[in-house]
Amino acid sequence: MPTHSGRELLSGNRMVALGALSAGCRFFSGYPITPSSEIYQAMIEELPRHHGTAIAAPDEISALCYCVGASLAGYPAMTATSGPGWCLMIETVQYALMTETPLVIAVVQRLGPSTGGATQGGQGDVLLTEFCTSGGYTIPVFAPATARECYELTRVAFHWAERLRTPVVLLSDKEVGMTYEGVDLEALDHAPVTPRVAHRDAGRYLPYASPCDSEPPPFAAVGGETRVVATGSAHDQAGNLRKNSREVLDILARLQTKVEAHAGEMADVVTDLQPGAEILIVSYGVSARASLDACRRLRASGRPASWLQVRSLFPVPAAAIRTAANGCRVVAVVEENLPGLYASVLDGALRDLSIRRVTRTGEMIPPSAIVAACEEA
Amino acid sequence: MESSVLVKDAPLPYCKGCGHGFAARALGEALETLGRPAHEIVLVTDIGCVGLADSLFATPHTVHTTHGRSTAFATGLALSDSVLGSGRLKPVVLIGDGGAMIGLNHLVHAALINADVTVLVHNNFLFGMTGGQNSAFSPEAFVTATTPGGNAVPPLDLAQLLTASRASFVARVLASDRALSDVIRQAIDHPGFAMVEILELCTGFATKWNALTGATLRGVADRAGYALGVLHEVRRPTYADSVRSRAIAASSRHRGIVERAGSASLTAPVRVVLAGTAGERVQTAAGLLAVTGLSCGLEVTQKNDYPVTQGTGFSVSEVILSSASIGFTGIEQPDVVLVVSDDGLRELRRNGTLARAGATTLVVADSTLAVGDLPGTVVRAPFRQIAGGKQAALAAIAHWLGLSLLLPRERLAASVTDRFGAEAMTTLSDVLGRLSDAAM
Repeated sequence: MPTHSGRELLSGNRMVALGALSAGCRFFSGYPITPSSEIYQAMIEELPRHHGTAIAAPDEISALCYCVGASLAGYPAMTATSGPGWCLMIETVQYALMTETPLVIAVVQRLGPSTGGATQGGQGDVLLTEFCTSGGYTIPVFAPATARECYELTRVAFHWAERLRTPVVLLSDKEVGMTYEGVDLEALDHAPVTPRVAHRDAGRYLPYASPCDSEPPPFAAVGGETRVVATGSAHDQAGNLRKNSREVLDILARLQTKVEAHAGEMADVVTDLQPGAEILIVSYGVSARASLDACRRLRASGRPASWLQVRSLFPVPAAAIRTAANGCRVVAVVEENLPGLYASVLDGALRDLSIRRVTRTGEMIPPSAIVAACEEA
Repeated sequence: MESSVLVKDAPLPYCKGCGHGFAARALGEALETLGRPAHEIVLVTDIGCVGLADSLFATPHTVHTTHGRSTAFATGLALSDSVLGSGRLKPVVLIGDGGAMIGLNHLVHAALINADVTVLVHNNFLFGMTGGQNSAFSPEAFVTATTPGGNAVPPLDLAQLLTASRASFVARVLASDRALSDVIRQAIDHPGFAMVEILELCTGFATKWNALTGATLRGVADRAGYALGVLHEVRRPTYADSVRSRAIAASSRHRGIVERAGSASLTAPVRVVLAGTAGERVQTAAGLLAVTGLSCGLEVTQKNDYPVTQGTGFSVSEVILSSASIGFTGIEQPDVVLVVSDDGLRELRRNGTLARAGATTLVVADSTLAVGDLPGTVVRAPFRQIAGGKQAALAAIAHWLGLSLLLPRERLAASVTDRFGAEAMTTLSDVLGRLSDAAM
């Protein structure tokens, strides 16, 4: 057990805000919604003291548009919301993706569908966040399970948003965001993340010309001396609206390639593997914690079991999961939604494995339910 | 700055006589005469024919956006630059009447906060790009693709609506008016939110279906009751001015570092449920227990639950104290249940906590509550009577720690003193004394 000299009692939501500030977030715009409001509140309080500014928006659409505007002007930007607000933001997320505008959106899930249960947790937005674009472009999604991970993965989200010039989702939920834990802030990484690559050449700037398919174009800020042409419509390298030319289609393909090319670097899983395990319990977010408890109970009762927490949900870290599942008869995927949304993704990505869904909705899945499901598997 | 703002020789992407062409040329002239470096202007264009204007302009930045949202993107550009950057960037929004209606919220908010944005609303009374459908700006009796018998709904007076929304510059001009470029220049020069509504002909549809020409356009305005010219102009602080005039809050709200000051050794995690009434500091009391655990070197989690409302109904906190790291933050079987009000008791029955209480579960309840038969030990004390509703939860925690000796009670006392001062601790000591007298 580590010796703690000084810790603070902090919620996951507060840790998202602190992670964003440490990463170099300069702009936040938000709209109140349970259970994410604390992030909004914290950024309103903290950003002015961290070289930034935060503004109350009149609705979620405006909130994300304000963030895109700020990011186009060169300032790393974030908003926070929950499922109902995310639904309103999807139009603008797609715009950010198409214009290659870095952006972090913290989605603190609650029980759905529709307004659902404001003060109840859930993991029902995992596919709604990922598959929100026409065309199915990969949006990196990171899922913290603890207050500390809220901090760390918010930083990771900023890193990839800036590195790849793309929107990134930090996907937590009510029970992660509004649960308090002891955190040693001193022990965490405080270095700002590397900013987006800037355009430096003196020659003509082609805002959507990239050095190679795995990299985003160099960035020039709207308002700087280099003229920027940005557009959410299909465009050539100069940013001119064009119908299906080869150049346009190549740019659309690069939006996906630049993310896929870095999938290996983004892959982030935590494992507790046991030699000879017959079952691998895979989970993410709040359910990963109960799953680890369940794994330990199974071992204590003489059933070898392994555990894997997916921290980077998308791109799917299929290779890491496959490696961990080596020798296991069953992969149990534990998540707080009825159909087994992420399990359906793993079903497709890992067709040779036998996937068993362990799901429940309306309350956190307790370790006993996971143990029972694994014993039947 | 290059000598020409407009792209030389670029063919207008508009029908002959379309008002968008007049407006683009007027904007070009206005930008020429502004005397601002080109890179300090960003044209933010909406969807529709008006959104094709980007390609006509050679020198300013251009951002082509989604339908109706152009004003919001422009507001984000203006807010960030004016507060964090040079403060010299001026977004000029080019939006149609369709976009103005779908994005009305964005116009209203930009006006209210006096964002340093100029919005040119190109009002041709219908949706041109998609085939001439009616809009919220179509005049009464106007024939469009979707009002073949004539529009029955009166048009929106955007100038009045934005004036009521505290816009600091509002104008309405005919596209054919020679003053248009000068009004646009005034709008861009205006510090703060400015809206210019440009009344136009759509020669693709509107003039084919209605007796409408350049000569009769003014009559349309008259019949709609639209005044023309610069209608409203005031100077008031921009959003950035307001931000700069406000002091930055000195201290952050989070509770600060808890130094390790005591120790506690738990052979197994202790799972505590605290239930009471919203507004009676249940979560605050649970937080003090959690902080006390931290100060003793333990791992802790505190999970709160409440109805959608903030100040009525139940309030429940679940605190886990453990010497090892904590996985599941819910409580399958509680070790201790502290319940201090009817609201709390009802919720513990509803959510199944009491049903899950086992033979080893200690229940500490206010004397007034009928907790019923439970398999474990039940301790009752008059928390509400002695401590009052707002201190009952904290009193129950202190009372329980006195019985269980799980954490040193002086560590709880230190947490209370840290948070609320020595006086609060004196009050709590008094409450504990009276509780112990009551127990005798």
